[in-house]
Amino acid sequence: MKSVVFLHYFLGFILLVSHLNSVSSWKKEEFRNCNQTPFCKRARSRKPQHCKLIATDVIIGDGDLTAKLITPKEFQENPDEDSSGIASNPLILSLSVYENGILRMKIDEDASRNPPKKRFEVPDVILPEFESKKLWLQRYTKQVIDGDSADSFVVYLFDGYEAVLRSDPLEVFVREQSSGKRVLSFNSHGLFDFEQLRVKKEGDDWEERFRSHTDSRPYGPQSISFDMSFYGADFVYGIPEHATSLSLKPTKGPGIEESEPYRLFNLDVFEYLHESPFGLYGSIPFMLSHGRTRGTSGFFWLNAAEMQIDVLGSGWDAESSIMLPSDQNRIDTLWMSEAGIVDTFFFIGPKPKDVVKQYASVTGTSAMPQLFATGYHQCRWNYRDEEDVKNVDSKFDEYDIPYDVLWLDIEHTDGKRYFTWDKALFPNPEEMQKDLASRGRRMVTIVDPHIKRDENYHIHKEASKNGYYVKDASGKDYDGWCWPGSSSYIDMVNPDIRSWWADKFAYTQYVGSTPSLYIWNDMNEPSVFNGPEVTMPRDALHYGNIEHRELHNAYGYYFHMATSDGLLKREGGNDRPFVLSRAFFPGTQRYGTVWTGDNTATWEQLRVSVPMILTLGLTGITFSGADVGGFFGNPDSELLVRWYQVAAYMPFFRGHAHHDTKRREPWLFGEHNTKLMRDAIRVRYTLLPYFYTLFREANVSGVPVTRPMWMEFPDDEATFNNDEAFMVGNGLLVQGVYTEHAKDVTVYLPKDHTWYDLRSGTAYKGGKTQKIEAADAIPVFQRSGTIIPRKDRFRRSTVQMENDPYTLVIAVDSSGEAEGELYIDDGKSYEFNKGAYIHRRFVFSNGTLTSVNLAAGTQFLSDCTIERIILLGHLSKPKSARIEPSNHAAEVELGPLQIQSKIRSSVLTIRKPNVRVSDDWTIKLL
Amino acid sequence: MKMKIQTQSYILLVFYSMLVLRSAVVLSENLLGVAPQDEEYYKGLSSSGTIICKDGSKTFTTTQLNDDFCDCSDGTDEPGTSACPSGKFYCRNAGHTPLSIFSSRVNDGICDCCDGSDEYNGKIKCKNTCWEAGKVARDRLTKKIATFKEGVIIRKHEVEQAKILAAKDEAELSRLKNEENILKGLVQQLKERKEQIEKAQEKERIQKEKEEKQKKEAEEATVKEQKGEEIVNVQEQEYKESKSDDDARIHNHPPSGQDPNKGAADPGVSLAHDDDDDDDDKDASVHNIEEHAEKNEESSKVAHEHDPSHGSGSKEEDASENAESSSREELGRAIGSRWTGKKAEQWQDEDAGTARNNDDNEYDETSDTAHEEEDSGYDTETEEDHQHHEEDDNEDQMDDVGGDEADDDSSEHKYESDDEMEDMEGTSPSWLEKIQQTVRDFLQAVNPFQTPVDTSESESVRKEYDDASGKLSKIQSRISSLTKKLGHDFGPEKEFYSLYGRCFEIKENKYVYKVCPFKEASQLEGHSTTHLGHWDKFEESYRIMLFSTGDKCWNGPYRSLTVRLRCGSKVEVSDIDEPSRCEYAALLTTPALCLEERLKELEDKLEAMNKEQPEEHDEL
Repeated sequence: MKSVVFLHYFLGFILLVSHLNSVSSWKKEEFRNCNQTPFCKRARSRKPQHCKLIATDVIIGDGDLTAKLITPKEFQENPDEDSSGIASNPLILSLSVYENGILRMKIDEDASRNPPKKRFEVPDVILPEFESKKLWLQRYTKQVIDGDSADSFVVYLFDGYEAVLRSDPLEVFVREQSSGKRVLSFNSHGLFDFEQLRVKKEGDDWEERFRSHTDSRPYGPQSISFDMSFYGADFVYGIPEHATSLSLKPTKGPGIEESEPYRLFNLDVFEYLHESPFGLYGSIPFMLSHGRTRGTSGFFWLNAAEMQIDVLGSGWDAESSIMLPSDQNRIDTLWMSEAGIVDTFFFIGPKPKDVVKQYASVTGTSAMPQLFATGYHQCRWNYRDEEDVKNVDSKFDEYDIPYDVLWLDIEHTDGKRYFTWDKALFPNPEEMQKDLASRGRRMVTIVDPHIKRDENYHIHKEASKNGYYVKDASGKDYDGWCWPGSSSYIDMVNPDIRSWWADKFAYTQYVGSTPSLYIWNDMNEPSVFNGPEVTMPRDALHYGNIEHRELHNAYGYYFHMATSDGLLKREGGNDRPFVLSRAFFPGTQRYGTVWTGDNTATWEQLRVSVPMILTLGLTGITFSGADVGGFFGNPDSELLVRWYQVAAYMPFFRGHAHHDTKRREPWLFGEHNTKLMRDAIRVRYTLLPYFYTLFREANVSGVPVTRPMWMEFPDDEATFNNDEAFMVGNGLLVQGVYTEHAKDVTVYLPKDHTWYDLRSGTAYKGGKTQKIEAADAIPVFQRSGTIIPRKDRFRRSTVQMENDPYTLVIAVDSSGEAEGELYIDDGKSYEFNKGAYIHRRFVFSNGTLTSVNLAAGTQFLSDCTIERIILLGHLSKPKSARIEPSNHAAEVELGPLQIQSKIRSSVLTIRKPNVRVSDDWTIKLL
Repeated sequence: MKMKIQTQSYILLVFYSMLVLRSAVVLSENLLGVAPQDEEYYKGLSSSGTIICKDGSKTFTTTQLNDDFCDCSDGTDEPGTSACPSGKFYCRNAGHTPLSIFSSRVNDGICDCCDGSDEYNGKIKCKNTCWEAGKVARDRLTKKIATFKEGVIIRKHEVEQAKILAAKDEAELSRLKNEENILKGLVQQLKERKEQIEKAQEKERIQKEKEEKQKKEAEEATVKEQKGEEIVNVQEQEYKESKSDDDARIHNHPPSGQDPNKGAADPGVSLAHDDDDDDDDKDASVHNIEEHAEKNEESSKVAHEHDPSHGSGSKEEDASENAESSSREELGRAIGSRWTGKKAEQWQDEDAGTARNNDDNEYDETSDTAHEEEDSGYDTETEEDHQHHEEDDNEDQMDDVGGDEADDDSSEHKYESDDEMEDMEGTSPSWLEKIQQTVRDFLQAVNPFQTPVDTSESESVRKEYDDASGKLSKIQSRISSLTKKLGHDFGPEKEFYSLYGRCFEIKENKYVYKVCPFKEASQLEGHSTTHLGHWDKFEESYRIMLFSTGDKCWNGPYRSLTVRLRCGSKVEVSDIDEPSRCEYAALLTTPALCLEERLKELEDKLEAMNKEQPEEHDEL
């Protein structure tokens, strides 16, 4: 009884808290939940073995395995009441196999039967070169599985893996060849449903209403849903963007507090909540699973319509009364989409990095950023005028805080007409940019997709004249409401329109722009203030008669793409674009950067920014970050400092704030806090050589810059669910502080390694949780066995660091060895594609450090030298080192680990080896 | 053999002296970036060969000085390179002012020192601009010194004046307190007398009534009527008394929204006043009604304009379920306003391209905005009327006229009463004596026990009482305003004394900003006033005036204004800005900041700069 009373109090408290939260914040009722979304409600209520389809006519053709999916006669005569698939045309399934363990499965309507409309396939996402990696299937083998009445068809997938099409009951799965254990399986619970397009008959009411909005739905129901199972999985991850934990909590199942499914629908959400499966600004329908025994696998559904995904807790299917072979480490998921086709990719892993590489081979790796973009960015809504800009810029110099980019939000424009300037506030934009550029700094201005409907605005004039706007259901230019008031939206799915848009960034067209100006795309979900759920109506029409519902989640992606192409074009294709976008989709990584949108200045949101960014990295978009300090609200100095300290290790590092908030530039919180923020930003700048090398790794392979710990330590179960700490590359472990008044913090250090606190040089044995001092800075550890390049001199911005010498920090492992890499190029152009770069591997072994060239035959010149080499964990105490081939000696002494650090640390330091970073050399400790 | 040893030692000596010589040469070359006052510190190197880092962390050798490798965590060993993060590089800047720059600026490809000495690695060439820059700086300094000189004189004068004025104010205060005591006694006496008379009259009347009652028992109805009247009379009197009590109380607790004049005037005048006030109110309300009508028309016009453009098609009809009758556009505005905090109507301004710096509305999208608007329209309209009156009356007192509501009435009152009080002061003894005498005579003359009571006598007692208590409350209000004034901190030399009661204005775009030291600051836009803050305090040892807790911002803080003070011969607001939303910053020049020590510093600086000048000139 007591516990019941307590529970009541507790619930009351929760209600109170959530009520307080929601007073001015998230307007839940303005967004549809699953029950208000008919396709989701239908799919979620289906029971296992709902699918009556079987595979027939299995053949190999064009290198693919294809089959027809039909409903057997007995079911056609007694159609399942629950089934909405009134049409009984066969569906066409095809399986293709690609290099390195990728199975692609497509299911669509049979085009030869003339369906009412071609269903939408998302263009320009899959890399063109992906097709060339296809392995042409030659044959299949037949096999009967589990006493099935029909054959299953088995094809080769990858070394040790096979793909299987089971025809009755219909199932497609990947299995290990030797053990026969399943890895990934489609429709193992028979939840697959595919609503085929129909011609509207009299009496069909297909309209859907939500609040004051009506969706005419001229093509009726066309949703798709299916179950997907991950075997040997302890956790599943991915499917951004949600403000929630790294490992995805189950949304349904016994003993689980039932929640909404994870929603993927790009929305502009005012004051979003942390700990919510609600869909935010971007969508990537890519899920990864990881388990200690089996490893990692992944599943990606290329589909741009609204999607809802349930993660099912074990035992969720118990009520169906059908006993299934239980697999304790299996995680079942239910995928539901409003439209489109089934175009899915199974990634077999088995290592975490294999899966992200496999995904990257489909959607691309992240673009190589310019060096400046990896520095610190200063933004605010709004830096008001040229004087304000000048003042903020000069304060950074006054306080000796490095930064690279100053940003202007919407108020810089003439009445929210993008590509224009408010003449009173910014009379001389070119001079302003040139002045910043004279100190190596860039500027970013905002360009959003809503175009002010103003006959005197050149963009609007051209767009309306040429018919470049998205149309409403009646075929007129869609007229929505956004910052400028009445606005229309450029139809970015059309490549010709994208090309027109890209031309708008030419210096002659964008008057007042200079080569040091880059772009920010906001509001590209798209945000429409008076639209349903603050976005565009689903029955709006795009080029090629595509309904907005079919491509919604990709709209912002195409806009981002067109803007990025514009920056490429204006410099003849040799200046790497920088475009920040809020909306995203698979492939976004090829076009720019994203941030986590309008967060709030709370500790919880600082905390959740870490799993949000790690998830983005796992799903391809490694160049991402959260607004430092929180967009809404005023962080106190402690929160702001802690935010800088964590964000300094995030790939994209930008301070930003709402115009209602107090100014919060780093020098406004007293000397001590200024110092702490300066230190945080400076640490980022010293590590830029390491970050830049990691960005190159991401650019080549798709492995993200910041990684969940389990990606580096896939056998250490204690890391699987840890999203407080994260790895930068394979060498640095960062533990944030997410609570007030913390003097220390507990951190789990993965086993089988020694970890060096980079502030003090103190060594910690891995495999346990340590309590670490964290009063003035968060703890960051270098893993034993790694070499990390730094530049320990401070400058105003990255530009002035170009010729500065390097410091190498070597942390040896138990056998006295370590290695690391350094990548250098010009930091801005595409010359690296022609081989203009330096890529070295540093190997330390037997007391000798060797620089190995990983880029033979490349020609990039750098005069940079190595001024200092620090050795952590080295046992002997040498006095000097011999350098070859120059045959000179360098002194070895005890020196500081961080030059400026208040914490006295004495570590073995090779003083002034002064070897050139581009040369081959060895340094032997004597 | 001996010879040989000698030769050897000679050779050794030569060798050593060469070494010393060499290190001395190296040293002078390596003193790059060292400030002259530090040279001695480094010269220690030539004798001992090693030197201690200034922070004591380490020692370093001759060869380690400026060898482009950081040995001291404080940068002692690298004054001339960028190797140490916390180092400083000294540029001589002959012809201009020497400068210590962060070591992060050394050889970074940007010319930071006007003599170009910070860029020596040959990557770029910096022009020596010290002569030109120095000239500009010297000119500026010369001008500044001139301002200071002027200001110092004015300041001296003001400090003297302030002493006199403050003493005068204090003297007046103590005199008034004295008078207040006396007057209080008189008023008390008069009051007692008045009450005695009234009691007597009452008694008389009751007696009369009794008699009449006995006489005319049949005419009960008439008696009842009389009784009724009587009650009314009593009530009236009670009301009057309590009213004057109220007034007095209000005066003792400034700031008040009441006009203290009301309580001070004699009954006749007061009546007339009341009438005037009534008229004013009526005028104002007529005005307001018109305003309302206009506003309503406008808003309905807006609504009409919007409706047709979006129509009310089938989409709108379905809204019933959600009870959302707003148009598409209104919905758009409402949603957008969450981010901006703007009222839907303000979007129109945005259309016109006029960026609004502040939105002073406590806007809540669910509340009835139209109603709120009317209310605020009402308030500002009456305020505005007040302002006009005042400006007409006091055109010559530009600075003194406070155009800002409640408190301002009292400030104006202060000036009036100043005059009056000065009158009173001039004739003070006789005035007070006269009153005392009158009362004394009066009290003697009037016999309260005389029956029947002389009605003319009772009239004059009442009048005398009203007179005296009116004067008392006038004195009391003056006491309270003086006390308030003298309670302020006017600076260590009372140098800010003359700013009391004055307001300074600056026009910035469409706004007029008004800064009234020791009182408040406001922003006027047409008919509306936004309070930027009430006087709070001085900060940074009288270099900043802080006004805080002004009107609240939507979704933001209470407005505040920080006024930075700077030396100037005139008192002027020279700049105003809103660097952070609803946090304003202004610059005020005043002689109060023109300190003699500072002038001396500036003169020394100029002298130092001029010393450098000829040498530099020769070089050029």
